[in-house]
Amino acid sequence: MAADVHKKGGDVPNGSLVPKDGRHAERSESPTPGLAQGTEPGAGQEGAMFVHAQSYEDLTSTENPDATVQIPGGREDAQSDQTKIEEISKDFSKLSTQLTGIALDLEEEMRQSKEDKQDLSPKASRRDSVLSGKEDEGVSMDAWHMHQKHVFVLSEAGKPVYSRYGSEEALSSTMGVMMALVSFVEVQKNAIRSIHADGYKVVFVRRSPLVLVAVARTRQSEQEIAQELLYIYYQILSLLTLTQLNRIFQQKQNYDLRRLLAGSERITDNLLDLMARDPSFLMGAARCLPMASGVRDIVSTCLQQAKAKSLVFAILLAKNQLVSLVRKKDQFLHHIDLHLLFNLISSSSSFREGEAWTPICLPKFNSSGFFSAHISYLEQDTDLCLLLISTDREDFFTVSDCKRKFQDRLKKRGVYQALLEALHTPFYSVSQVGIPFLRHFIYKSKSSGLFTSPEIEAPYITEKEKERLLGLYQYLHSRAHNSSRPLMNIYYTGSHENLLAWVTNAFELYVCFSPLGTKAAAVSAVHKLMRWIRKEEDRLFILTPQTY
Amino acid sequence: MSGQRVDAKVVMLGKEYVGKTSLVERYVHNRFLVGPYQNTIGAAFVAKVIPVGGRTVTLGIWDTAGSERYEAMSRIYYRGAKGAIVCYDLTDSSSFQRAKFWVNELQNFEENCRIYLCGTKSDLLDEDRRKRGIDFHDAQDYADEIKAELFETSSKTGQNVDELFKKVAEDYVQFTAFQEMTEDKGVDLSQKTTPTYFYSCCHH
Ligand SMILES: Nc1nc2c(ncn2[C@@H]2O[C@H](COP(=O)(O)OP(=O)(O)OP(=O)(O)O)[C@@H](O)[C@H]2O)c(=O)[nH]1
Ligand SMILES: [Mg+2]
Repeated sequence: MAADVHKKGGDVPNGSLVPKDGRHAERSESPTPGLAQGTEPGAGQEGAMFVHAQSYEDLTSTENPDATVQIPGGREDAQSDQTKIEEISKDFSKLSTQLTGIALDLEEEMRQSKEDKQDLSPKASRRDSVLSGKEDEGVSMDAWHMHQKHVFVLSEAGKPVYSRYGSEEALSSTMGVMMALVSFVEVQKNAIRSIHADGYKVVFVRRSPLVLVAVARTRQSEQEIAQELLYIYYQILSLLTLTQLNRIFQQKQNYDLRRLLAGSERITDNLLDLMARDPSFLMGAARCLPMASGVRDIVSTCLQQAKAKSLVFAILLAKNQLVSLVRKKDQFLHHIDLHLLFNLISSSSSFREGEAWTPICLPKFNSSGFFSAHISYLEQDTDLCLLLISTDREDFFTVSDCKRKFQDRLKKRGVYQALLEALHTPFYSVSQVGIPFLRHFIYKSKSSGLFTSPEIEAPYITEKEKERLLGLYQYLHSRAHNSSRPLMNIYYTGSHENLLAWVTNAFELYVCFSPLGTKAAAVSAVHKLMRWIRKEEDRLFILTPQTY
Repeated sequence: MSGQRVDAKVVMLGKEYVGKTSLVERYVHNRFLVGPYQNTIGAAFVAKVIPVGGRTVTLGIWDTAGSERYEAMSRIYYRGAKGAIVCYDLTDSSSFQRAKFWVNELQNFEENCRIYLCGTKSDLLDEDRRKRGIDFHDAQDYADEIKAELFETSSKTGQNVDELFKKVAEDYVQFTAFQEMTEDKGVDLSQKTTPTYFYSCCHH
């Protein structure tokens, strides 16, 4: 079993990523693009709560998780890479005899696509048949094709680990082909490769000992799809730890990981659904439940006071919105870890029964060990969920007591009722800003890692229209963060809406206007919007986070 | 230490989907939740006060997840337990094999823990007797062999559920009374101020 996480003082993971403290800077009334990080609206006064992360950091990093993790008793350090590759190619030769002609044709196509990135539409029909597997194995091609995005996880030996739609068993031949594809695109570990063809992208992410593949018909960029795949990878780590995962596959190359992941498919499915709906993932940030800062401050103080030695993080949330977060001094949570926690809680109603006490790995914090998480709702019928993360798995009763103390304090200080009232208005209307042709926006403060966004209102009423709006933001986001040509300002005019993106060192702003407005009007509206956010920042953000 | 005093730790063990959570739900809240199956994540703790004879006993019930993923850490949930309710699904013979695994585990690591074998979902057999996957007599023989009590319950109808937990609590009271008696032997009888019964704490 992987060892528990025991953090000693000073042992800060990702230490170099700890944000710079910009609390002393002046807060300006009318924010401008020249704002220094730490002075933008929403920037915390006490420094940040989260590890400061770049967009797509994982994709550009050359870190090799295998190399950084010490596997107790592991003998084959240097050799393992080589043997793994040999092992895999052996498996492929078996595969390719099964798949005969198909694999060879694909090899051709892959070569072609790597060389000149041509549109492969003439041959796309061929790939369709490959990707959808054999129909006689129970996979209906039509149903399969209706989905916007398919996600597969395989082991490096080509064993299915997870498939978003349909049983992995039925899709195992598809998985085999995926694996064969991976072997062609494989150059190095942690590599990302993609194929673009006829309206869809196939994106591969390899994180040894797993390979993740997405087949997407969305407008997302390759980077964004890869980022989602990484979330799936981290989701798996959060259940098993990387140490355990590595050990399992070192002992048995073709281990069937589904045995250990049984029952977790729902969590992964939920994560994929959430990523399609919730801008938190795109923004790499957390959204706060809007509430009067006086109430939030008292809640945070109560939470901070209900402490125990082994507690590292205490998080109060309501339906994927942050109410308060207290962390041990010098320990920062990564937004990916927070998103995984939010997803875990939203994917299961089982936490409504009693007090849950479960091992959980926060892979960005430390992928080698488990924390123990105490998860419970404050009351049977509220959405207020308290998450207490402890380093000591024997500490259940102490941590459980912290919850009780927290609840007692809330009531004694008379904020519990106000807290419940805040739950009634989890979103605000964009009309509060007072800009007539403003439809929606997302604003992220980079230094706090928090973002705010009004409710999505008409004309984006159906789920499909909401996802379309998010898709537009995704598009702007990918343009703004394009690694070769990042853009600071984008103005996009469409027939249904106009959009504006503004990305600086301090903040990111994405705004949706009705198509009637002009660019000049949009620019002045943005200044007005920024002033409104500044005015409302203490309600929309956590400006005074607490530490233990 | 806990603000909530717990007398006896009781742990629910068994393969996933056998109905451990449903059993606890029925016992603690007297309800049966319909809707999609929600597998337990890690374990859930709930305390329940139960009157036994002239006193009350607080059972601290640990409802563990059946998924193999948590097997390696199951010890933290059953360590020090006074009673273990080892569940199997009456319609699924593989779950009985899994129950035997847990019994072995307990016999090896928690010899003071009483074992209660519990065949679940008996209502399914009322519908169709052919669904039975484990013969009653085989289960009874096994229970005798390991000196366990055997129950067949339905969380859907509530059948035998209260009886099961009541038996766990009664055995606990009887056992501690017996323990005090034997402990008192040779002890200075002038120490009348010692508690009349024994508190134990779940996590020790
Ligand atoms: N008909 C019937 N169904 C039951 C009964 N008890 C449980 N079930 C069903 O069996 C399924 C699994 O029940 P759970 O109580 O969640 O199983 P569990 O043992 O807690 O499963 P894990 O948490 O994964 O270990 C659910 O769909 C229940 O509705 C019962 O007495 N009768
Ligand atoms: Mg359960």
